[in-house]
This record gives sequence, C-alpha cells and structure tokens, in this order.
Amino acid sequence: MNRLDYLVLIATILAIPLYGLWRTRGSASLGQYLKGDASIRWATIGLSMLATQAGPITFLSMPGQAYESGIGFIQNYFGQPLALVVVCAVFVPIYQRLKVYTAYQYLGQRFDRKTQLLGAFLFLVQRGIAAGITIYAPAIVLSALLGWRLNLTIWFAGGLVIIYTVVGGTKIVSITQRYQMIVILVGMAIAFAVAVYRLSPDMSFEGTLSVAGKMGKLEAVDFSIDPHKRYTFWSGLIGGFFLALSYFGADQSQVQRYLAGGSLKESRLGLLFNAVVKVPMQFLILLLGAIVFMFYQFEKPPVYFNQPAYQRAMESGYASQLKALQTQFDDVFVQKRAAIRAISNAPPNASSGDRDIAMSRLRDLDAQARELRDRTKAVLEQAGVDPKSKESDYVFISFILQQMPHGLVGLLIAVILCATMSATAATLNALGSTTAIDFYRPLIPNASDHHYVVAAKALTAAWGLIAIGVASFASLVENLIEAGNILGSVFYGSILGLFLAAFFIRRATGSAVFFAALLAQALVFILFATTNIGYLWYNLIGCAAVLVLATVLQQTIFRGTQAPAGV
Amino acid sequence: MNVGDDKPDARSWRKAYGLALSLFAVEVVLLYLFTIRFS
Repeated sequence: MNRLDYLVLIATILAIPLYGLWRTRGSASLGQYLKGDASIRWATIGLSMLATQAGPITFLSMPGQAYESGIGFIQNYFGQPLALVVVCAVFVPIYQRLKVYTAYQYLGQRFDRKTQLLGAFLFLVQRGIAAGITIYAPAIVLSALLGWRLNLTIWFAGGLVIIYTVVGGTKIVSITQRYQMIVILVGMAIAFAVAVYRLSPDMSFEGTLSVAGKMGKLEAVDFSIDPHKRYTFWSGLIGGFFLALSYFGADQSQVQRYLAGGSLKESRLGLLFNAVVKVPMQFLILLLGAIVFMFYQFEKPPVYFNQPAYQRAMESGYASQLKALQTQFDDVFVQKRAAIRAISNAPPNASSGDRDIAMSRLRDLDAQARELRDRTKAVLEQAGVDPKSKESDYVFISFILQQMPHGLVGLLIAVILCATMSATAATLNALGSTTAIDFYRPLIPNASDHHYVVAAKALTAAWGLIAIGVASFASLVENLIEAGNILGSVFYGSILGLFLAAFFIRRATGSAVFFAALLAQALVFILFATTNIGYLWYNLIGCAAVLVLATVLQQTIFRGTQAPAGV
Repeated sequence: MNVGDDKPDARSWRKAYGLALSLFAVEVVLLYLFTIRFS
C-alpha cells in the first residue's frame, strides 16, 4: 500500500461515520434512539440489512471459498427469499402492532418474563461472541499481510464503531450502513471488472469459464440428496430456510434494522429487496473467486497465500522442505498452464475423446497442486506457525494487494473495514438495546426517558468493549472463526422455536415453551458434541424440538395453565 | 400503525410476495442453466 491507498482508505472509513454523526446531531428520545425515525426509507433499510448480514467474512472469505471449493456455497442462501417472505407476512405486522423495541419483548407479552429473558439471553450469548469474531476475522488477515499491529487494528476498527454507534443509535447505524454498503458494492464491482480484465488474453471469457467449470469450480446447483455433501439445493433450501427465518425473524440485530422507520410498508419493502438481491450478489462474489482461480492458472500463485506465516516457517529451519515443495509446485503449475492452453487451442474438429483425456490430465495436475499446498500447510503446522485463520481467507486479499492498481487497493481495504464496521455497529446496537429493554428497564421501571437513553448508550459501549475483549483473546482459541459460523446455527433453532410456538401454538403457555426451549437447546448441544451433522440442520432440529416438546409439555405437565389472550 | 391498516393492501402484498418468489425461482433456474453450461 502507498500513500494514495492510505488516503483513500482513511477518507472512506472516516467520512461515512462523520456524515452520520452530523445527520444524527442533537438529542433523541428512547424511541428515536432505539428505532430511528420516520425518515428512514426502504432502500436504507434494505441496504442496512444487507450490510448487517454480509460482514467482512463475506468479502474476505467467500472469494477464497470459491477459489478452493467452487461456487456451490451459493445454495446456502436458497432458503432466504422464502424465509424473508414469511417474516414479511407473519413477524413484521406483529412487531409493528405491538410497537416493541426488541423481538424478545413480544415473547414477554405473549408468554411471560422468563421466556422473554431466555430468548434475550440466548441472543446475547451468541451475538456477543459473534461481534468479537466479526472484528477479529479481518484484523488477523489485514495485520498479517499489511504489517499492522493486530491489537491496534482491533482497537481502531472497534473503537470507531463504538463511538458512532453509542452517539447516534439505530439511526446512525442505518445511515452509515447505507453508504458503507454502497462503497462495498462499488468496490466489489470494480474488483470484478479488474479481475476479468486481468484474465489471460489467450482465452475468451466464455472459454475461461468453461475450463473453470470443467475443473469443478462452477457447480452452482446440486440436486444430490447425499447427506454427506456439504452444499446441496435441498440442504440450502430447507436448512437455509430455518436459519434465515431465525436470523431475520428473531435476531435483534436484523429485527432492529427493519423496525427502523416504523412503517410496515417500508419494513416489508426492505425485506423484499433483500429477498431479490441476496442470491445474485452472493453469486457474483463467489464467481469473482472462481475468476481469481482462473487468473492464477496463468499467473503463478504462491504455494501458500499466507506469506507471513510461510516466511516464519522458512526462518524456523524448514526452508529446505518448503523450497522442495515450491519447486514441485512450480513444475506442476507450468504443466497445468500448458494443459489449459492445449485445451483452449484445440481445433474445433478435435474428437471428444481427446478433449476428455486433456481434461482428465488437467484435473490430475490440479489435484497434485492441491496436494502440494496441503503438504506445505503440514510443514507450517510442524514448524509451529500454523495460522488461526483459514488459508483461503488470504487468497482474495493477496490478489488485491498484488494485482490491483494503487488507489483501488485502498478502496478495497476500505470495503473490508466498512463491512466490519457496519456488521459490528448493527450487532452492538442490538446488544445494547436488548440489554437495556429486556433486562435493565424491568429492574428500574419508572425512570425518565433520558435515563433509559443514557443506560442504552452505556450498555452499547459496554458490549463494544466486550466485543473488543473477545477479539483480543480470539487468537487463544483454535478454529474460532469456523466456530463462529457454527455458533449461530446451534442457538438459532431454539430461539426460532420460541417465536414459532408463540405465533402458531395458540394454547402454548410460557412455562411449557420455556422448558421446551431449554430441553431443545440441550438436545442440540448433545447432537453437536456426539454427531457429525451438517450445521445448517441444527436450525431445523432445534426449532422442531421446541415445537414438539412445547406441545407435549402443554398437554401433560402444564395442562391446567392457560395462555394470555389477545397478544 | 396497526394490522388493520394493512388489510386493504393484503392483495397487493400477496402479489409482491409472489413477484419476489417468482424472481427467486428465475434466479435458481438461471443458476441451474449456468451449472449445466459450464460443468
């Protein structure tokens, strides 16, 4: 990075919060602080929801994921449009009618206080940890590649978010997310165009995609019913539906986004906007990863993208082993490039048998290259420099730093930091609001509006410090980022079950649902510890367990109790 | 805002949901055609 990059980076990430602070200057009532005001329209709500969900991992890891395993991950989003329509039709009208600040207030009104606190508590635990991971994930990669100090990166990104989220509340989060998301979309569109432009002139774009497809990178839809396959149409549609229903219907970090503005129409339009644009957006991000993969079929990639870790291993007495692997990798790369050129230059009248033989040779060479990378990783583990983040997380950022022109490098680093800040701001805003409304206000019930605004600000700041604390100690825990992805699915099923029981089991009472949720959560923990089920299925299992157990408990142990009417 | 305000618009909203889901179905079909073309 040069001075121009730093100028673009700093101007981008500071200008948006400063504009947000100017737009939200002056004092706000509790309602305005927690729900924004009527000036927030559907476009802002839609972009704000998109930014909350995306986070830095989307823009750092997704292209790397496609580079490694292809674009099949897109199927994880197939349940989302269906879930968003259900949220529009069922969840939003109830939240708007009851004028709740948090989703868990509804549980309190429908059931009882302990069920409200259980829903809020499950949310706080998993989101509190997730907020730390959101800050840590990009910080570890950026600090490794750019030489920034890890703790300084965490404190800079986290500190800036805490300041503006505490000062401006929901309105500033919505406004800043709108502009951060615009920066992200423009930055990624430019990155896509540059990546396509940098592809080898030896092949047409269609020819490039054709080879990428033959190498297994472009299988977007797989109707297989094999349960061992991680990404299929069915797991994405069914498991993804329950994950998205829980996330958009019962996770306060999203609920607070679409309740901003206070109008049913604007909330629904914001949700439907997400239903339509999410799949194409994720497809283009994953396709970018496949294009970067094809770029590195002609331009020699490093055998290991996390170069700082590689260099540390070289200096730790493993240089001869690593150099031998690098030599073999270089040799395979040259053969692979020649094989791709042979395929693309094959005469149109070449027999399909010849083409199949050439493709088979190419796939063999690709498997050899992959094996050499695995062996390099094993050497790094042996050297004790095995990094905490996945190697594929370094693919896209390395491509940016090495292949993009100056100025654009700064913009794309800003994209990653904007994604970090927007996702973290929404989470802190939701954590602070939930703690203030569901836990603090019932303890001190008759204080002034101003008192609760101050309390919400203090609690938001406290959650910010906790998130920074989690991020600072994240490196002590192995595979934390992967754990973060699984964490949501482990808790979301039970939380969603609470809400679906509230909506659809009319006779269910608080105690039946409360104990059903505790038992369902215990079941998910046991399954998680003892089986190897794909994590998306925990959403369905946890939710179904709550609904079945609540019905059984209501019919047996809590038979004599009655649900409150009218909610 | 209450649910009553929404009733006259219920049909319009159902159309909007149908449109969103139809667009999603088109997206899946296009992705499937993309998969067949390039795999």
